[in-house]
Amino acid sequence: MNALDIEQGQRPVEPFLEVEGLTKVYGKQQALNGVSFTVQAGSSFGLLGPNGAGKSTTMKILTGVIKANEGSAKLFGKDVSKDQSVVSKYIGYVPQEITLYEQLSAYDNLYFFGQLYGLAGQTLKIRIHEVLEQTGLSDRSKDPVKTFSGGMKRRINIAAALLHRPKLLILDEPTVGIDPQSRNHIFDMIRSLNQAGTTIIYSTHYMEEVEALCDEIAIIDNGLVKAQGGLGELLERYGRKAIYLEIGGKVNPPELTQVDQVIKEGAGWILETEHVSEVMKSLLLMASQRDWDVKQLEIVRPSLENVFLTVTGTALRD
Amino acid sequence: MKAVMIKELKIMVKEKANFFFLLAMPLIFIIMFGSIFNNSDDTSLTFNVIDLDHSSASKAFLKQIDAIPGMKVKASPTSQLKDEISKIKKGQEASIIVVPKGFETRLTGGEQAAIKLYKDPASESSVAPIESVLENITSQYREQKLSRTLAEMGQTKQQVKQTLASPIQIKDVKTASDNYNYISQVVPGMTVMFVFYIMISMVRRFFKEKESGLISRIRSTSIRPMHYLIGMWIPFVITVIAQCVVLFLFGHLMYDLNLGDLSALALLIICISLCGTGIGLALSFIVSGETVGMVVTQVIALAGAMLGGLWVPGYLMPDFVQKLGHVFPQFWAQKGLQNIIVHHAHIGGIMGSAAVLLLFAVIGFAVALVRFPSFLRSASN
Repeated sequence: MNALDIEQGQRPVEPFLEVEGLTKVYGKQQALNGVSFTVQAGSSFGLLGPNGAGKSTTMKILTGVIKANEGSAKLFGKDVSKDQSVVSKYIGYVPQEITLYEQLSAYDNLYFFGQLYGLAGQTLKIRIHEVLEQTGLSDRSKDPVKTFSGGMKRRINIAAALLHRPKLLILDEPTVGIDPQSRNHIFDMIRSLNQAGTTIIYSTHYMEEVEALCDEIAIIDNGLVKAQGGLGELLERYGRKAIYLEIGGKVNPPELTQVDQVIKEGAGWILETEHVSEVMKSLLLMASQRDWDVKQLEIVRPSLENVFLTVTGTALRD
Repeated sequence: MKAVMIKELKIMVKEKANFFFLLAMPLIFIIMFGSIFNNSDDTSLTFNVIDLDHSSASKAFLKQIDAIPGMKVKASPTSQLKDEISKIKKGQEASIIVVPKGFETRLTGGEQAAIKLYKDPASESSVAPIESVLENITSQYREQKLSRTLAEMGQTKQQVKQTLASPIQIKDVKTASDNYNYISQVVPGMTVMFVFYIMISMVRRFFKEKESGLISRIRSTSIRPMHYLIGMWIPFVITVIAQCVVLFLFGHLMYDLNLGDLSALALLIICISLCGTGIGLALSFIVSGETVGMVVTQVIALAGAMLGGLWVPGYLMPDFVQKLGHVFPQFWAQKGLQNIIVHHAHIGGIMGSAAVLLLFAVIGFAVALVRFPSFLRSASN
């Protein structure tokens, strides 16, 4: 089966997008330092990274907006930098900025972008109608975009990239500055597009968005992919295994040889360990023998945030 | 390309600032200058007069002045003689002609009848034409007297005419068209001046596309950069053509401006439009920002207007300024337009101006082509 022949519920294993060793320099600034990752057809791929990590630069290279200094990005085997028609035909790009003409109506904006994607006539009108339905903005289609809320603008911004039914939808931080309702609507849109077979690349620095939407994640920092895998895989590989313990009246944490590190948190402690069940057993035994007044004892669920901080470090970014 | 053009035209129509800069401003200027200088078309010379004689001879004398084209007699009552003289002394009036009592008696009695001209020495330049006219009328009286004398000596009318004929004759040969008036200076002048303000709109639009990330997004679609560039350019060309059509129609309907050969006018308007927008295109990709673009546009528009003869006819300016004006496209635009409007030129008569304007357009477009890739790069990054 070709990577493009994706039916609902089917996930071919061959790489849909292969990014290999991308480098990009802006003047003296090294924006990308050899970014590599692969995206499977039909997946929802999260590109997670702090500000200035190189996410937007990667997105722009994938969409042919800029050229990499080195490396390649191949969409089902075709280099996007050498064949712009591949980009315009199969990729829908939602940039970080709201790139709409504020003076024009939502319909006029969509009509314009539809024409740029090669649509015309009745086909274009039908597609505009459909994407307006998808975004829930059919009733505001004739209003100028400048009268829209931030969330509505974001939805039209996405709609403009859907008109030509792209196989790959690239979204660069599409939920910046919007209300929870609009965010939820956008998430639903992305999920249903993905379920319908559209491959998604979702760039963000919000962990919860990646957790909610993506089945495959790459963590990028300083122009390099530092980790890639499924959410469970990353949590397993980089997630902190720990137990939270809080004892009434006790000043010092218990000393156990299997605990690697003890961190004070709130009224209790985080006990980091690779041997969660053994340590838990020991703690329960100690609590019973020493008559502790245990307020809280629980296994700490590994989070993507822990993974992210473990992989990228805690140093502040510009 | 068509999509970009239609989008740009829609935006152009929706941006009210464009109407202000491209239509409202030139219309205001045309109306303002038109009303000021149209009234000044009444350039008749006023003769302040007090007739103390009230005779048929004095009335005939004053009627003779009034009958001269461009001369107007303003008679004041006898009682105001002192006030009028006082006004001249204070510099409030330039001159007054006083026909003294006994004017007719002295004239019919064969004596020399004096006309008094009170004048302010400080207003020599405005009094000089009045003195000249009075001299001329005096000569006519002298001629009449000589004619009568020669006739009495037995000369025929023909002989008298030959005797009195001046050895020098000045013949008026009109070379300028009847269409020349200040409106034929103001309407094309203001039109050309404000055509160049399209550059502000162009710089603003290109920078808005760049800074909003729209160029980046558009580059991810199937449109070619050159199609985008031309698609952005043509709406400005159309706008300038529409601007010129509206302003010339306004001049024609409001001030009866002669439009001359319409095909020549259309050709020149297209050339002016290509020239203004071609330079605007180059400017959009040269300047570092909107503010710089606005300043450069002001310099080009105002310097070109001043030195290119858009405000006042070029021949009224010093020689070196006239020569300097040739550097500006506004000079060639105004020259071509005036050739059509004033001198009835047809297409053949404006080819020089059209060629120079097209040369400016080509240079502008060439510079834009050279700068466009780096503009796109900076927009994408």
